[in-house]
Amino acid sequence: MATTAEATEITVTEEPKLKPVDYKSDLKPIWCPGCGDYATLSAIHQSLARLGVPTHMVAVISGIGCSSRIPGYCATYGFNTIHGRALPIATGVKMANPELTVIAAGGDGDGLSIGGGHFPHAGRRNVDMTYIMMDNNIYGLTKGQVSPTTPAGDTTKSSPYGLGDRPLDAIQLALAYNVSYVARGFSGNIKHLVEMIYGGLSHKGFSFIHVASPCPTYRGIDRFKEYKERVVYLDDDHDATNPLTAYQAALRDDGKVPLGVFFKQERPTLTDNCEAISRKALANGQPTIEGIMDQFIP
Amino acid sequence: MDVRDFTVAVVGSGGDGAVTCGEMLTHAAAGEGLYCFMSKSFGPQIRGGESFSQIRMSEDMVLSQGDRVDALVVFSWPDFLRFKDEIELKPGAIVIHDETKNKDFPDGLPINEFLEPRIIHVPFTDLAEEAAGNSLAKNMVMLGAISEFFNLPVEGLKQSIAKKYKKKSAKIVESNCAAVEAGRKYVRDNHEVESMPRLSYEKSDTKMVMNGNEAVAYGALYAGCRFFAGYPITPSSEIMEWLSRELPRFGGVEVQTEDEMAAINMVIGASFAGAKAMTCTSGPGLSLMQEAIGLAAIAEIPCVIIDVQRVGPSTGIPTKSEQSDLLAALHGSHGDVSKVVLAAADVEDCFDVTCLAFYISEKYQVPVIVLSDQFIGQRMEAVPRIDLSKRKSFERIKPSIQEGEKYERFKIDNGGVSPMAVPGMEHCEYLASGIEHTESGSPTSAHSIHEMMNKKRFHKLDDIREDLTFVRRYGPEDAEVGVIGWGSSKGAIKEAILRAEKLGMKVAGLVPQIIHPIPYDKIDEFMKPLRRILVVEVSYAGQFYNYLKSYYPVPDKLMLYKRSGSKSLTVEEVFQQICHAMQSEYVL
Repeated sequence: MATTAEATEITVTEEPKLKPVDYKSDLKPIWCPGCGDYATLSAIHQSLARLGVPTHMVAVISGIGCSSRIPGYCATYGFNTIHGRALPIATGVKMANPELTVIAAGGDGDGLSIGGGHFPHAGRRNVDMTYIMMDNNIYGLTKGQVSPTTPAGDTTKSSPYGLGDRPLDAIQLALAYNVSYVARGFSGNIKHLVEMIYGGLSHKGFSFIHVASPCPTYRGIDRFKEYKERVVYLDDDHDATNPLTAYQAALRDDGKVPLGVFFKQERPTLTDNCEAISRKALANGQPTIEGIMDQFIP
Repeated sequence: MDVRDFTVAVVGSGGDGAVTCGEMLTHAAAGEGLYCFMSKSFGPQIRGGESFSQIRMSEDMVLSQGDRVDALVVFSWPDFLRFKDEIELKPGAIVIHDETKNKDFPDGLPINEFLEPRIIHVPFTDLAEEAAGNSLAKNMVMLGAISEFFNLPVEGLKQSIAKKYKKKSAKIVESNCAAVEAGRKYVRDNHEVESMPRLSYEKSDTKMVMNGNEAVAYGALYAGCRFFAGYPITPSSEIMEWLSRELPRFGGVEVQTEDEMAAINMVIGASFAGAKAMTCTSGPGLSLMQEAIGLAAIAEIPCVIIDVQRVGPSTGIPTKSEQSDLLAALHGSHGDVSKVVLAAADVEDCFDVTCLAFYISEKYQVPVIVLSDQFIGQRMEAVPRIDLSKRKSFERIKPSIQEGEKYERFKIDNGGVSPMAVPGMEHCEYLASGIEHTESGSPTSAHSIHEMMNKKRFHKLDDIREDLTFVRRYGPEDAEVGVIGWGSSKGAIKEAILRAEKLGMKVAGLVPQIIHPIPYDKIDEFMKPLRRILVVEVSYAGQFYNYLKSYYPVPDKLMLYKRSGSKSLTVEEVFQQICHAMQSEYVL
């Protein structure tokens, strides 16, 4: 039987730490067997648990696509929105309540094609949120058409004679867009992926994690093996504070897919900037709603 | 000759300050307590282009821009030609121009001589150089001259000069006032003013001067809007500019986005997270926002979208007004969308309707589109101070869920509205989505649930129809003929009805503030006893007429007066249609 002292000790211990499973919703994912998105989902749950943020303080926002189903599989607040618009919606969420941990998630088509116009601006605003792009080089939800990252020459349902267009490189774009945390993980290495996502969640500013997440259904089961052979890890002495070395690492032309944190920079976030603006705006005192009418008096 | 109601138009090139003059006259009039209405129009150039302002003032409420002007001031006749369609003279109108310019029309000025205008030369430029040492002060000379000719509020004018230029220097205020005096003296020394139309009025309490866009922005701030995202577009940008200045002073955030899709989606995100949020745009932007408006409807997220309409389609005529976004606002999104469309009718109404939009949006968790237009948005009006205590506001219904209890975000209880949790609230984590969903928010493709959820979402529109009974009705109960219009047509309709009334005609008018859900009962009640009903709108395709027709088995007694925009609706044209309706032989 516990002594009184022990009982007291128990009541003052911290609340039980959240486990990855606590971030898992009751909905069962309907992804294809072998899909890289399972690993990414698990990595998100593990990263949130490591961060220890309560579920009600997390909002997971997505667009449309296979990977955009992810908010439904999290026991947090979630918003499965429309194609391409995860980033502006997530920005709105963060600005309305800066206390929240905000994750935007989606695929390569969602983020680089239909929603490609929002990525640069989330970067330049440095919205304090984490953007996870699960890149499977294909449109999976619509069953196998070309995506903006499908390699040139590939035949797909919408490129029966082979694709002429060149693929976009998400890491190079993120660096060009001045994203303040740029990293890549691989669905075949969850442990490393957790490091990348946890790093992004802990980063103050806009963090981007590109996840190589091969599609077994429309890209073939071999693609996973092929990726496994192609991935390499950035050197331990890679200088992630230097944009030049970050670009060099991203511009590899030996067919290898480097994983790791390419670039990381601390700079004021959109929230910081809004606070600074607010201080300037209040330099002459706080007006009243009624008093505003005086500015219309001639 | 005393008049109670005076209208003057000023036309010139960019450097002439035709619009600045109009603004100063408006401030002057409001400063002395007059009602005032100033519309302005620009050529397409950003700087240095031709511009025109028309100012109407009276001690009585001013309802429209004034069809025909008592006086016309022309700095440059070639510029006048650009606005010829928009400026009409009263018979015997006074036309004042600068004789030091205008050698371009040796065969006579390009105005209608049948109206026997009285043409007066005033050497604005020379007088400005003499009095202020600067020809740029010619517009101040002009203001002084016309205040002397027409008994316009000269004290108010000097006050508005002092206020406008005080930041520059005392010297500039002084030289501008000297220029005004020079204009006045020139008129006193050279002209007989007794035969002029001279404004007769008593001074009263100072009024505010606002344009419709400012009134929208202030209405939003008052209603509790604390997040705004928008993309610049003519003629709505002033709303964003005003809020970018004022929101940070009230703990709010303004973001200028990369495009209109980002704007509406940020607004939806901010509202999902608990902020009262709004965006504003014009026609092209509304087209881009349509998909997201459907998202707000199915995810039941409150948001307010202001559309300051301009001439469409496509780029259309960006600086001119039209009422042709109505069907896009009503039916633009794909799918069965439960949303609300409101219309502002004048500057003061912009404040009211914006407040109402937030009230409806927050109470019923629906997207609300407010239709304004360039005519209201960019015109200035003198309005009395707004009585804020009369305006109602609403705070969203939130759930109270205990640990272990299951929160169902889209629970169907009586009515269509379910308590809405926001991220940060414990035990209420839920999934919002654009995909059809169950009461708890899980995605579904079941017909029965889709049917049930549509019913829930459309139920709100019935409740809104019950909740909001306000309609604007003018004219006697026993009217024979009625006029129905919407939005900015109100001024011309109301004034035309008053004119008809003076002539003994029994005419009534109806201008609903809420367009969708359409207040059937009120419209039906209005229409029933009338012999003839005239629908008036500034849309070539007759969008409002077609909308009404789609809701009513409309009787043959409905007549339509419609035309394209780019020119404000005038009292005269509505009045003529009323006369036509009165004479028509149709008998019920």
